[in-house]
Amino acid sequence: MKEQFAIVGIIPASEKERVQKRKWYQGKPVFPMVFLALIIAGCFACDLIMTKDPAYLDLKNFNVAPNREFLFGTDSMGRDIFSMIWYGGRTSLVIGIVATALSAAVGIIFGALSGSMPEWADGVLMRFTEILLSVPGLLLVVFLQAILGKANVLSISFVIGITSWMSIAKVVRTEVRELRTREYVIVSKCMGGGFFHILWKHLTPNFISAIMFMVILNIRNAIVAESALSFMGLGLPVEEISWGSMLSLSENALLTNAWWIILIPGMFLLITLVCVTDLGNYLRRRFNRKESNL
Amino acid sequence: MIKQSKGVYYGKKILLFILSVFLLSAAVFFISRLAPGDPLVSYYGDRAERMSFQERQWAEEKLGLTDSLPVQYIRWLGRAFQGDFGISYKYKRDVTEVIGERVGNTLILGGIGFLLIFGLALLLGVFCALHEEQLTDRIICRIGIVTSCIPEFWLSLLLILIFAVNLKWLPSGGAYTVGGAGEMGDRIRHLILPLLAVVTGHLWYYAYMIRNRILEETRADYVLLARSKGVKKSSILLKHCLRNALPSYFSIMAISVPHILGGTYMIEMVFSYPGIGTLAYESARYKDYNLLMVLCMLSGIGVILCSMAAQIINERIDPRIRNNPIMEGMEEG
Repeated sequence: MKEQFAIVGIIPASEKERVQKRKWYQGKPVFPMVFLALIIAGCFACDLIMTKDPAYLDLKNFNVAPNREFLFGTDSMGRDIFSMIWYGGRTSLVIGIVATALSAAVGIIFGALSGSMPEWADGVLMRFTEILLSVPGLLLVVFLQAILGKANVLSISFVIGITSWMSIAKVVRTEVRELRTREYVIVSKCMGGGFFHILWKHLTPNFISAIMFMVILNIRNAIVAESALSFMGLGLPVEEISWGSMLSLSENALLTNAWWIILIPGMFLLITLVCVTDLGNYLRRRFNRKESNL
Repeated sequence: MIKQSKGVYYGKKILLFILSVFLLSAAVFFISRLAPGDPLVSYYGDRAERMSFQERQWAEEKLGLTDSLPVQYIRWLGRAFQGDFGISYKYKRDVTEVIGERVGNTLILGGIGFLLIFGLALLLGVFCALHEEQLTDRIICRIGIVTSCIPEFWLSLLLILIFAVNLKWLPSGGAYTVGGAGEMGDRIRHLILPLLAVVTGHLWYYAYMIRNRILEETRADYVLLARSKGVKKSSILLKHCLRNALPSYFSIMAISVPHILGGTYMIEMVFSYPGIGTLAYESARYKDYNLLMVLCMLSGIGVILCSMAAQIINERIDPRIRNNPIMEGMEEG
């Protein structure tokens, strides 16, 4: 206490000290990362794991409960669920990633454009995004999918991606409106930097942490959207294996009480979703950390 | 912002509303007509495929499908102003009649679900905020994250599998037993599983939101002041923080009406509950244009009205927002 009227009380330990006391893995989402890594590795190396051909219709063994030969049982078309999980997981993950990459790219470009435009144009573009946000997402997806015709992996990723960029665009636009008057942006503009150059070099590094968790959570939403669509029979057909299309057989499974057809693909879906969410939430927490006064 | 009279303020809102509805109707109209598919199939069933060319032409003319799209749209708009939304191709009855039969069911499911979600979410959020980062909070957060990740349709399937197929406690679908309509107990028994699915699917999203809103408040300086004066933690939280957090909660409530209704659509489908959701799905699938149009307009108008209500609530309670065009914290997270 050097000062005479210093505030009495516990001096909170500085951020640095506390960080040093912790082990490297504390506060990091270790379990989700490990699980996610396992699932991703399993799906992309599915050729090594699969015990059967996932597309083979074994008509003698349909609706078989899990046993030694069929680890997770077989579905009502006689396909081995264990092999399908890994094989189909690849499709689901690819759709999640492609759709998210598309939505992030559209969101960033649209948001940056809107943010750097004059007031009135910005207003128009933002009203437009709000109208799009207000249309129920699933409905939009169903419409677009209908226009594109029969669904395949790429078309479904495209449809999901093109309908989920709005919230990212809103955040990017807010950030860009704040950043665009900074000196370094003006300097870059004066020196002849183009829109994309400034966006990539000066703006993106500043707002990337603000949208990172939204991007991660978009992966989750894309996977859910695909599975919901395929489940309704509007997405991938049954022959094209994904976690969603595996679940589209579940109506049948309910009648025969074949719980494994419903439970197992759903569990894999759920574990992946939870892990991705944890990762997203971790990023979000890191982005806005503040201490309680309570 | 320049002060404006109330009339101008509400006038602007109403004008914006009309414009949005108009745009929405045009968008839905053109998108639904551009989508491939044969509306005649939904009107005539299998017979449509066996029709000769002349018969087809006659049928299309009768249903007004031969004109160019803008003409069709203007005709639809003109009739809509007189309250005539056309007939449903599939049910061969007035669209309003078909929807009228079903809308009550959806409102019951959605309405009860909505109240349950927000009541429980508030309780859960406050409880978690009181125990921030303690074991109870952590456990609830963990469970909450898992439940919020469960896809709604899968949850519904599981519920049916457990309670209807295996335990045989509750019916697996519909709104009432065939022939036994109107009985209270029967209806409630049919409502339990869909309600459970609706509530579990949405609960955590809102509970977590209110938890974080309250925790954000606890970072404010007035909390430090109250704390140093010796006010109890719980009473600061309930009397000061919660009060500041509630306005944004109300506006989120208003915004989320369509969100929750949209969620019930999916659940209605799985439980084959005779509501608007099942109807929308059918009409989109079978190109029942007139029906689809009105359903989309209904949900669109709902969304627009709700977000306007949210904005008005916000501005009423917190005048600072009026100067701030972006409403923070309302983006989907």
